[in-house]
Amino acid sequence: MEEPEPALVRAAAAGELAAFERLVRAYQEPVWRFLRRLLGDAGVAEDVAQETFLRVFRRLPTFTFEARFSTWVFQIARNAGVDELRARNRRSRLASLAPPPASAPGMPEARAEIDAALASLPVDLREAILLIEVLGLRYHEVARVLGVPEGTVKSRVFSARTRLHRWSTADEERASREV
Amino acid sequence: MRCDAARAAISLRLDGELPDGADVHAVDEHADACAECAGFERHAERVRAALRFEAVGVVPDLAPAVLADLEPRESAGGPAAGDGGHPPPSTARPRRPLVVAAALAAIAGMAAGAAFVGLGPEPRSPAAADLPDRVLAAQAGIESLDARFQLVEDDVTGDRWERRLEGRLVYEAPESLALTLSGQRSTEADLRLVVDGERWWQSTVRACSPVPDWTGCPDEARRWVRSVRGREPFSESSPVPLELINPVDGFTPAASKLAGLGTRTIAGRRAVGVALTAAQMGPFLDALSTGAHLRGVHPGDPVELWLDDEHLVPLEVTVRAASDPDRVRWASSQGSTDRAGDTILRFTVTSVTINEPIADEAFATPPRIPPDEALDAGFRPGADPAGPVPFDLPRGFRPYRSGTISGTGGPTIAVDSWTDGRAWLAVRSTREWAGGRLFGGLGTSVRTVDLGDAGVAYVSDDGRKVALHADGLDVVVSGSVAPDELRAAAATLGVTGLRVPPSWDESATATLAEAADAVPRLLVAPELDGFGPPAVRIADGTVIQAYAGAGDRGFTLVQSRVGALTPPANGDVVGIGVRGTAGRYSAERGQLEWVEAGTTHGLSSHTLTLAELLALAQSLGPA
Repeated sequence: MEEPEPALVRAAAAGELAAFERLVRAYQEPVWRFLRRLLGDAGVAEDVAQETFLRVFRRLPTFTFEARFSTWVFQIARNAGVDELRARNRRSRLASLAPPPASAPGMPEARAEIDAALASLPVDLREAILLIEVLGLRYHEVARVLGVPEGTVKSRVFSARTRLHRWSTADEERASREV
Repeated sequence: MRCDAARAAISLRLDGELPDGADVHAVDEHADACAECAGFERHAERVRAALRFEAVGVVPDLAPAVLADLEPRESAGGPAAGDGGHPPPSTARPRRPLVVAAALAAIAGMAAGAAFVGLGPEPRSPAAADLPDRVLAAQAGIESLDARFQLVEDDVTGDRWERRLEGRLVYEAPESLALTLSGQRSTEADLRLVVDGERWWQSTVRACSPVPDWTGCPDEARRWVRSVRGREPFSESSPVPLELINPVDGFTPAASKLAGLGTRTIAGRRAVGVALTAAQMGPFLDALSTGAHLRGVHPGDPVELWLDDEHLVPLEVTVRAASDPDRVRWASSQGSTDRAGDTILRFTVTSVTINEPIADEAFATPPRIPPDEALDAGFRPGADPAGPVPFDLPRGFRPYRSGTISGTGGPTIAVDSWTDGRAWLAVRSTREWAGGRLFGGLGTSVRTVDLGDAGVAYVSDDGRKVALHADGLDVVVSGSVAPDELRAAAATLGVTGLRVPPSWDESATATLAEAADAVPRLLVAPELDGFGPPAVRIADGTVIQAYAGAGDRGFTLVQSRVGALTPPANGDVVGIGVRGTAGRYSAERGQLEWVEAGTTHGLSSHTLTLAELLALAQSLGPA
């Protein structure tokens, strides 16, 4: 996506809320879509996206214009998302009787299937493939967001695709056996 | 080729990350023969389609809730959010109505030919023509300043209120500054900003609403305090609003067709006046708005700027509501009832001393206020110099802060800076740049410049940053001096700039001649007063020209061979005549689009008015 004008980022960093509002509106869609896929829940994604933008606002005075602004925002979103997943793990250890996440009623089949497939991936593979597919980032940008070498991104994305493919073919085999 | 190698290559190809020279043919050959690998590719494409191109109608609007956590809350006495816990859930504020139909009708009837500042004849008041040069030169003569000022904002919402703020600005060259703003109704400052070298400290009131019937503000808990240490010299991210001292950005690139307003006396000093637009004064208004959350102004609103005749310090700035129909639409989208000619914002200096000694405690931060957010920006002073040093520095410049930035998650960066009064120049460099695009945050649009022996450099569209990509070293030169002085510094760093690799964004940078080959009958803007040459890039057969003007003024011109307009992406599109043909205009995107001789043209700007865009469209000519 197009980078915001540096002047807009500077104004927001200086506490100018009108400027910050423009940044929120520019990034809320990709951030929410990424988090929805990462967390598998639209409502939780909304809360975490809000938390993301509050963190963005607080940290703006340290944004150095080295990273792309979008990469920096996605990095904060990813960290907020991972924090949520950790908190969820803690919660589920405490209450292991919580029901498994179900697909929302009326959800189109294909979307429910892809969410289930994504949920089957370990978090490190899921976040890598989502940064590529939902946000359209390049490998070097994903490397920056995740704080890992570019080679690691390459192999995680490939592993994620391999597992997603295996998941879908296993599904088809199951389906064909049932017929 | 084995399956795993083929699939790895398919995965890379899908992401556009297959290295140059990879054997694409072998991959295709394998996939043609291997049903599993072909299935892998199809599935990966399906996943992409599902994740990237899904319908977006369901995305929630987060902005109201996010801002409600940062902004004035109507109900007093709620729990404070600064205690480390989560802020209480807040109700989203209702969105203001967007566009009013009557205003749109007025736009549709609008004709081209209205004034574009920068086109047309010389104004009859040549007294102002040399102001840009004088503002730039005056920086060197400023060592300190202590000014008291008044800031009056007119209402936005039609309640006929006025917001009056009293302020004080204390400055010591090159980057120590204390800005205080206090409202009439409060006993405490609405804003206190202190920048002193590597420290940056800001306290804003977060629960004060500027509406008249609001009560009980502020108390300790509703102040929002941010404290940054490790601030690099002239940091862009914890900024020092130097534009309040001399409005350098507002006069770069220099325009000469300025309408002078003569001279008068303000705060006992001789002042020289000039008429501008709010877009050109954008950097000044942003600086003034720091933490004070000023009302919005329209980019086309006329501004009268009065500068101290000797030191070119702003002494009075008056913004009035413009009269064009586009502004009526804009105002209604803001929920505003401004009438044409109303004074909506006025900044007046009431007393000022320049180059008198400043007491040390002027830049002390209040010790008893603990910060809500304490951040380290990672800069540590160090060896002088930390990186490459320009041989050719502007005359009179002396070394200022040097050091390195590390531990921020980004590359380690060496920073050196030089100053003379308020004027500054900084060189930042790194040996750890990951690539993908130029180091230094130049923005999407850049121009290449031939530096002779120093190779090729990339200049941001506004000319304020010059970047060099060298073998194992990436450098950026920035500063408040004239663009040619930045280039001279970049050319004498002892670094030889190379063209960026083909995988970097800036490899799409082109010359106008190359662009004219890519799109037949390419149109370009005539030489515009106060604008630099365009930054041109070619992407997928589309030519994008970015023109940056003084202050925040600027526009882009996008042209492609596709001979028809795509269906409009926004609901606010209206039909409009452009260059004698039927075009359309989206106010939300600030974009004018039309088809001419089989080529699609899009002219867009968020800082020019529709009248200016139409006049500009009319003035376009062949490359």
